[in-house]
Amino acid sequence: MKILVCVKQVYDSPETLVFDESTGQVTFGPHTVFRMNRYDEYALEEALRIRERLGGAVIDAISVGPARAAKTIRRAMELGADHGIHVQTGDIDSPGAFERAHLIAAAARGRGYDLVLAGVMAEDDMESQVGPLLAAVLEYGCATGVIFEEISGNGREIAVEREVEGGSRECLTLALPCVLTIQSGINTPRYPALSHVLRARSSELECIAASSLAVPPPAQSLVRILPPAQGRKGEIIEGTAVEKADKLIHILREHSLLPRQGA
Amino acid sequence: MSGRFFIIALHEGGRIQEETWELVSFARRCGAAGPVMMVLSDEGSIERLAGELAHRTGLDVVGLAGSHLREYSAEAYIRTLVPFFRDASEEEEVHIAAAHTSRGIDFVPQLSIGIDACCITAVEDVGEGSFIRSLHHGRFRAEVRADRAKVVITVLPGAFAPEDIEPGKPGRIRIVPAGDISLSTRSRGTRAPVHANMGLTRAEVIVSAGRGLGGSENIRLLTMLSSLFPKSALGATRAVCDQGWLDYSHQIGSTGNTVSPRLYLACGISGAIQHLAGMRNSGMIVAINTDPHAAIFRTAHYGIVEDLTTFIPLLVDRCLKRG
Ligand SMILES: Cc1cc2nc3c(=O)[nH]c(=O)nc-3n(C[C@H](O)[C@H](O)[C@H](O)COP(=O)(O)OP(=O)(O)OC[C@H]3O[C@@H](n4cnc5c(N)ncnc54)[C@H](O)[C@@H]3O)c2cc1C
Repeated sequence: MKILVCVKQVYDSPETLVFDESTGQVTFGPHTVFRMNRYDEYALEEALRIRERLGGAVIDAISVGPARAAKTIRRAMELGADHGIHVQTGDIDSPGAFERAHLIAAAARGRGYDLVLAGVMAEDDMESQVGPLLAAVLEYGCATGVIFEEISGNGREIAVEREVEGGSRECLTLALPCVLTIQSGINTPRYPALSHVLRARSSELECIAASSLAVPPPAQSLVRILPPAQGRKGEIIEGTAVEKADKLIHILREHSLLPRQGA
Repeated sequence: MSGRFFIIALHEGGRIQEETWELVSFARRCGAAGPVMMVLSDEGSIERLAGELAHRTGLDVVGLAGSHLREYSAEAYIRTLVPFFRDASEEEEVHIAAAHTSRGIDFVPQLSIGIDACCITAVEDVGEGSFIRSLHHGRFRAEVRADRAKVVITVLPGAFAPEDIEPGKPGRIRIVPAGDISLSTRSRGTRAPVHANMGLTRAEVIVSAGRGLGGSENIRLLTMLSSLFPKSALGATRAVCDQGWLDYSHQIGSTGNTVSPRLYLACGISGAIQHLAGMRNSGMIVAINTDPHAAIFRTAHYGIVEDLTTFIPLLVDRCLKRG
């Protein structure tokens, strides 16, 4: 069994992003820390568990991104992936889901993956598209939001449960090969083992220039970045911490939401 | 927007999903002339579903029918929809909208590849020939424009108020047999949620924690705060449950419980749309967060920019002191 796990590098906290309203550009501030997209951590962990269950499976981790994305691929190897593939985008910081999916498909084609796993969503762009787009490009079956999986039928199919609104689960069986996008909570991601860390340090990443892969032109373009829509005009309670606490208590009492204590 | 405009109505257990009526508003906002409703189901139920759409919206309806559509699967939808749109020429402008729900986001991106369309997800507003969606935990929005003649869109639930439609004259219905396609996906039905929590849905006050709680050792802060209120319960974001700080029965949001208490105290919660989906209708929302730009402050009635680990003990203390 050959498994491909798609891992994306994202910034750790949106607080470190800098927005220039005059240019409509968002850039990373000097304190930005990058890490693996959390949903991809669950996807990788699920791949590791499949390998433990089946024995003999090989796990490749792939990421599309600039030079710094190599760190996230190494992280995947430290956690236990056998092989790392970096589709290098040079100066292009974050290509959209459409380009990303086509680049991964171009790199994956012909390698005979039985199963492709990705996170259900990237925390930065929040498009939830790479997995299902990739499936359609590769002409693989696909299930999104997977919260349970079990390979069955002598390794020819996979039973999955998709999490839907309200926490209900849709149960279905797909033929392999297929793409699954993994929902958080399907497992508890492990910490790296020392042996894997050492091996990851000494192994080479396979690097592919994005420009060497044939992919269709982008399907959409960014007009501009906007500040968030003005939501409810809520009141920010100002003052010292004590004043804020007292004001809040007063507001809650006025609305009969907080009874007098000890009464 | 010119060209044809289709709205895909999703249904579950014989009922059209509520988000469908919001899609009609979305189509109007796009300036679509005579959008067409579209529904996919088996022969036994297609006429009734199409009839309901035609009556409630007054719009024309295309019903695609086949036994492979008895139960939802992305494969069934794509293999029905791709051939349907194949008659459209490459240059013809076509917009197709579905709700950004677990099913919408499942089949829509795959459909886009099948018909060489641009796919834009979680759209929450409309620009000049463009669409607007949130990025980066709701901190910014992106205005994007399609570079293909065909565009498929998922529309964020709650972003467009459902259209008040004058029943008027029902639209025309066209049922199109979609053939009987044999699928490689087998549906095995739906399992009920394992984490439904009546205590949470009945509570008048919910003290709810996000990742900002920092660790399970701080659960006692929540318990302390909630003990000030009778009929209160503890809620949580998915992130908190994924960490195991509270179990999933406390999860509030699109894939958890939906609540509308009189008071919702959001502590260390960023305000992701999936969380808001489960608590937006609370009577009063108070948010405590260290980040003044957190999206939750745009939903909250009152916001407090403080570290919850110091502010909650202070709040409890002031409350007890003042009696
Ligand atoms: C398909 C799908 C379904 C989902 N369903 C749900 C769902 O049902 N429910 C749900 O909740 N989520 C759901 N999510 C996840 C959702 O997208 C968010 O990831 C999640 O809600 C974030 O949780 P959070 O606010 O606790 O964490 P974060 O987004 O990490 O926010 C933590 C916040 O705490 C603040 N903070 C940090 N330290 C402190 C401190 N000391 N004091 C005060 N504030 C502090 C930070 O400023 C930040 O705003 C779903 C996601 C997907 C893709």
